[in-house]
Amino acid sequence: MSDFIEIRDVHRSFREGEQTHAVLRGADATLREGELAILLGRSGSGKSTLLNLLSGIDLPDSGSVRVDGTALEELDDRGRTLFRRSCIGFVFQFFNLIPTLTVEENLLLPLELLRGSVGGRERRRAADLLGSVGLADRAGSYPDRLSGGQQQRVAIARALVHEPRLLLADEPTGNLDVDTGREVLELLDRLVRGTGRTLVMATHSRSMMGIADRVFSIEEGLLVEHGADGAASS
Amino acid sequence: MSRLLARASRRHFLRHPWQIALSVLGVALGVAVVVSVDLAASSAQRAFEVGYEAVAGRATHQVVGGPAGLPEGLYRDLRLAGVRSIAPVIEELVTLLPDDPGTPDDRSPGEADADGASPRGRRTLHLLGLDPFAERPFRPYLGRALGGGGATLGPFLTEPGTALLAAPTATELGLVPGDRFRVGVGSGEARLRLLGTFEPASGAGREAVLDLLLVDLATAQELLGMRGLLSRVDVVADDSAAAALAAALPEGASLVRSASRSRSAEQMTRAFRLNLRALSLLALLCGAFLIYNTMTFSVVERRRLIGLLRAVGVTRRQVLLRVLWEAAGVGLLGSAIGVAGGAALGRGLVELVSRTINDLYFSVAVRGVELAPAALAKGLVLGVVATLVATLPAAREATMAPPRATLSRSELEERARAAVPRSTLAALALLALGGVVMVVSGRSIVTAFAGLFAILVGCALLVPLATVALSRALTPLAGRATGLVGRLAVGGVVANLSRTGVAIAALTMALAVTVGVGLMIGSFRSTVERWLDLSLPADLYLSLGSSPGASLLDSRRTLDLGLPERLAAVPGVARVNRLLRVGVRSDDGERVDLLALGIDERSYGAFDFRVGDPSSAWPAFRRGEALLVSEPFAFRTGIGVGDELVLGSPRGPVRLPLAGVFYDYASDRGTAVVDYARYVELWGDERLTALSIFALPGVDGVALEAEVERVAAASGRVQVRSSGTLRRDSLEVFDRTFRITSVLRLLAVGVAFIGVLSAFMALELERSRELGVLRALGVTRGQLRWLVAVQTGFMGLVAGLLSVPVGLVMAGLMIYVINRRSFGWTMPLDGSPWVLLQAVVLAVVAALAAGLYPGARMARVSPAEALREE
Repeated sequence: MSDFIEIRDVHRSFREGEQTHAVLRGADATLREGELAILLGRSGSGKSTLLNLLSGIDLPDSGSVRVDGTALEELDDRGRTLFRRSCIGFVFQFFNLIPTLTVEENLLLPLELLRGSVGGRERRRAADLLGSVGLADRAGSYPDRLSGGQQQRVAIARALVHEPRLLLADEPTGNLDVDTGREVLELLDRLVRGTGRTLVMATHSRSMMGIADRVFSIEEGLLVEHGADGAASS
Repeated sequence: MSRLLARASRRHFLRHPWQIALSVLGVALGVAVVVSVDLAASSAQRAFEVGYEAVAGRATHQVVGGPAGLPEGLYRDLRLAGVRSIAPVIEELVTLLPDDPGTPDDRSPGEADADGASPRGRRTLHLLGLDPFAERPFRPYLGRALGGGGATLGPFLTEPGTALLAAPTATELGLVPGDRFRVGVGSGEARLRLLGTFEPASGAGREAVLDLLLVDLATAQELLGMRGLLSRVDVVADDSAAAALAAALPEGASLVRSASRSRSAEQMTRAFRLNLRALSLLALLCGAFLIYNTMTFSVVERRRLIGLLRAVGVTRRQVLLRVLWEAAGVGLLGSAIGVAGGAALGRGLVELVSRTINDLYFSVAVRGVELAPAALAKGLVLGVVATLVATLPAAREATMAPPRATLSRSELEERARAAVPRSTLAALALLALGGVVMVVSGRSIVTAFAGLFAILVGCALLVPLATVALSRALTPLAGRATGLVGRLAVGGVVANLSRTGVAIAALTMALAVTVGVGLMIGSFRSTVERWLDLSLPADLYLSLGSSPGASLLDSRRTLDLGLPERLAAVPGVARVNRLLRVGVRSDDGERVDLLALGIDERSYGAFDFRVGDPSSAWPAFRRGEALLVSEPFAFRTGIGVGDELVLGSPRGPVRLPLAGVFYDYASDRGTAVVDYARYVELWGDERLTALSIFALPGVDGVALEAEVERVAAASGRVQVRSSGTLRRDSLEVFDRTFRITSVLRLLAVGVAFIGVLSAFMALELERSRELGVLRALGVTRGQLRWLVAVQTGFMGLVAGLLSVPVGLVMAGLMIYVINRRSFGWTMPLDGSPWVLLQAVVLAVVAALAAGLYPGARMARVSPAEALREE
C-alpha cells in the first residue's frame, strides 16, 4: 500500500519579537491510509503546527507535505482551502463550533460548503451522525448550551459528516475531564476505524497510546516514532 | 480606583487602538457639529449686536418716526425744550462703487490689482450722518476721527461731500485723505472726498466700526434726498426722563429702547438658529449611538475578563466606576478634539450662516468666529455627558456579570432577542409620548423638538424588531441568491443582534435625518416654486439694487417717482404696478413690514388666499378699508380675518381690519399689505421701491427688457429683472439658505458611517475565531469577503428600508409642526421617490464601504492564528 501522508524534511519556525523560534527542524514521517497515529509532545512542541501543515492551514518554510499524493505547498490558498473542504475533517481542543449556528446547522455547514446546497439526504446524514454521537435530541440547540463533552461530540460529528479521508484532532480531550475524554476517544476510535479513515491526533497524554497504530513525538523539532512499549524506534 | 484595574483597562485599549480611536472620533464628530453650529450662529448674532451697539453708541433710547423719517424740526424743538443728551442721526446702507476710468482728479492706487480685481468692488458701507457737536455723549470714535475738534472738524462741517473712514478700511480700499470715491445711494450715486481717517478702538465693536462711512448730517441729507428729515434721534436718558420725553413727543414719533432693535434681530433669527441647533443635536444623537455601540462592545468583549475580576473580588461598583471612568476619558478626549474641530468647522459654517442671515433677515458683517468660552465649555460638557449616558447600559451590563466567565455568547444574544418585545413596548411608549408632547405643546418650538427627539428614539428602538422581521423575510431569498454564504450572512445579523441592532439603528437614524430633511427641503422648494410661478405674474420687475439689511434699517431710498408713467409709455408695456416696502410700528411698538401695493383686479391672481374670501377682500382692499397679511404674519401675531391691526402713522394710530390671509414664502416675519393710494394718504410717503411691468401680448420680452432698462437708466441705478431671472435668483437664495442644512446632513451621515464601520470592525474582530473555523472548514478567502459584504450590505439595506418610513414621519413632523411653529408656513409633504431611493442606495453603499476594510482584514487573517486560543 502506498503512503497516504508523506512529511519530508519539514522546517517551520515562528518569529517572536526579535527572535525566531524553530518548531520543526526537518521533520520526516509517512502514514498509510486507515492508520490511527498519535502525536505526543509537550505544550508548544509543535503538534498543532504539524496538524496545521497537514491540513494546509499553514505552510512549511521548507520541505514537503503530501496528503493522498497532493503536495500541499504546491497549491495556492484557494486550492488548499478546496482540498481541506473535501478531504479533511478537523476536531479542535476548544471545539470551535460556530456559536451562532445550531448543532444541526454546524453539521450541515461542511456539506453545504462541499455541495453548494443541502437537502433531505444531507439532513438525514447529519441526523444519523448526531444519533451515533448520542445527541439526536440536541439538533436545535446552540453549541454553548452544551457541555464540553457534548460540544466535542458535535465537533467529531461535524468533522466526519462530509466523509473526509483524513481526520485531524488537536488535543480533542484536552479540555475535558478524564471520563468524558475517554468517551470521546472511544467515539473517535469507533467512528474513524469503522470507516477506514486516517486519523492523526495530537495529545500530550500518553494514556492514549493504547488505541494508536502509530505513535510519534516531536523532540527538538524532529518527528520521532515510538514502539508499542513507548520506546523511540526511529 | 485600583491602579491595576486601570492598567488592565489601559492595556485593553492599547491592544485595540482602532476601537478607542473610532469611539473618540465618533464623540469628536458629534461635538464638532454641535460646537460649530453654536459658534457660527452665536457669532453671527453677536456680530450684529456688537455692530449695532457700536453704531448706536451709548444711546439708551431712540426717537423714531414712520417710514418717511422724523422731521428735523423735532430735534430742534427737543433741544429748545431742554432735552440735552440727544443726537440726530441719519443712516443708510450705501454701496462703494468702482471708480470711473479716466477721471483725472481721482487718485486710485488701490483701484485695480494685477488681476484687475478692485478692492472697492461694491462693498456695502454703513453711512452715518451725524452732528459732531451733539455726538460727545454717544460715539467716541467720532471725537477721535475729528481729532478732538482739530483740523478736520472745520471742513467736515462746512465742506459738502466729505467723509471719514476707519483707517484700516481706507488702507484696505487704497484710499488716502484727499481721494475721491463714488458711492451708490438708492438708484442714484454720489461722489465723496475722504477727509480723514480714525483708529477704531480694539474690542468687540471694532468690526462694525470698520464698515462705517461718517458724514456730516447735512451731507447725509443731501446724499439721501432727506432734506429736513432725520432717520432717528439718539437719546441718553434714565427711565423717568425717558417717560417724560415719550409723553412730549408729537404724533408720528415714538421713543423706543435702544436695545429693542438688537432684540428684534435676535427674535427674527431665533427659529432659524433653533432649527440649526436641533439639526446639530441630531448629529450628536448619531454620535451617541456610536458611543453606545463601541462602549458596549468594549465591555462585552471583556466579559470574560470582567467575570474573572469579579471572581477575584472586584466589586460591582468598581466595575461600574471603571467603565464609566473609561467613558469619561473617551468623552473628554473626543470632546476636546471635537471642540477644536468645531471651532475650525465653525469658521466655515459662519459664512453660510451669515450669508443666510444676510439673504433673509438683515445685514451682518461677520468676519470670524468668536470663540466664546461658554460655547466651548458647553460642547465639552455635552460631549462628556452624552458619552456617559450612552455608556450607562454597557456599564450596567458589566456590573451584572456574575463572578465567573460571565454570560455565554448565545445567552447574550438570546437576551438581546428576548429584549425585542420590551424595546418594542418602550418604542411605542416613546412614540406615544412624543406624539402627545407635540400635540399639547401649543406653539413651543423647543417642546416640539423634544417631541421629535422622543419619536426618533422610539423609532430607533423599533429597529431590532424590524431587523428580525426583515431578516426572517429575506433569509430564504438571500439563501437562494447567494447560497450558504448569504444565509450565514443574513442569519448572522439576527444571531448577533446585540451588536448589529445598534449599528443598524445608528445608520437608520442618520439616514432618516437625511430623508426627513431632504423631503422637507424638497417639499419646501417645490412649494416655493409653485408660489413663485403664481406670485410673479408680471413680465419684468424693476427695483432698487438689492440692499441686504434694509429690513432692519428704516431706509429712505426711492425710485424716481416719474418712472411709472415713463415706463407705461414704452411701446409694448400694458401696465405698471407700484410697490413700496416700508417698516412701520404697530401699537405695541413692534416693527411691521408693510407692503403698499398699487394693483388692480388683473393682478389679484398673484395672491393665493389661505383664509378669507377674495371676492369680498379685494374690493375692501382697493377701497383702502382693509389689509391683507401673509400667512407667517398671521401666525406670528395671532391675528385673524376680521381682527383689526393698529399701525402708527404721522396722523396717529391707523386701525385697519384684516380681510384675508395669503400664502407667502418671501419672509418668515411676514408682511402686511395695504393699498398704495391709501398708504400715501395715511403716511404721506409717496416713495416707490419696486415696479412690476406687464407686457402686451406678443411683445418680444428681451427687446422690451432692453428698452425698459434704457428708459430706467435715465432715472438712476436700478435693477431690471425678468420674472424668469427673479424666479431663478429667488431659488438661488433658497438653495443658499439650505446649504448649511445639507452640510449638517452630510456630517450626520459621516458620524453614522463611522458608527457602522466601528460596529463592523468590532463584530468581525469578535468573530475572528469563528471566521478562522470557517476557513479551516473550507471557506475560501473570497467567500469570507463575500460573506462580510453580504452581511454589511444587508445591514445597510435594512437601515435604508427602515429610514424611509422614519424619514417620512420626520419630514411630516418637520413640515407640519416644527416649520409651522418656527416660521408659520404651510406646505404639503412632497414625497419625492428620488430622495427615498437615494437613502436606500446611500445606506447600502455606506454599509458596503464600511465593511470593505473589516472584510479584507478578516480574509487576510491566517486561520492558524485565528484558531490559537489566547
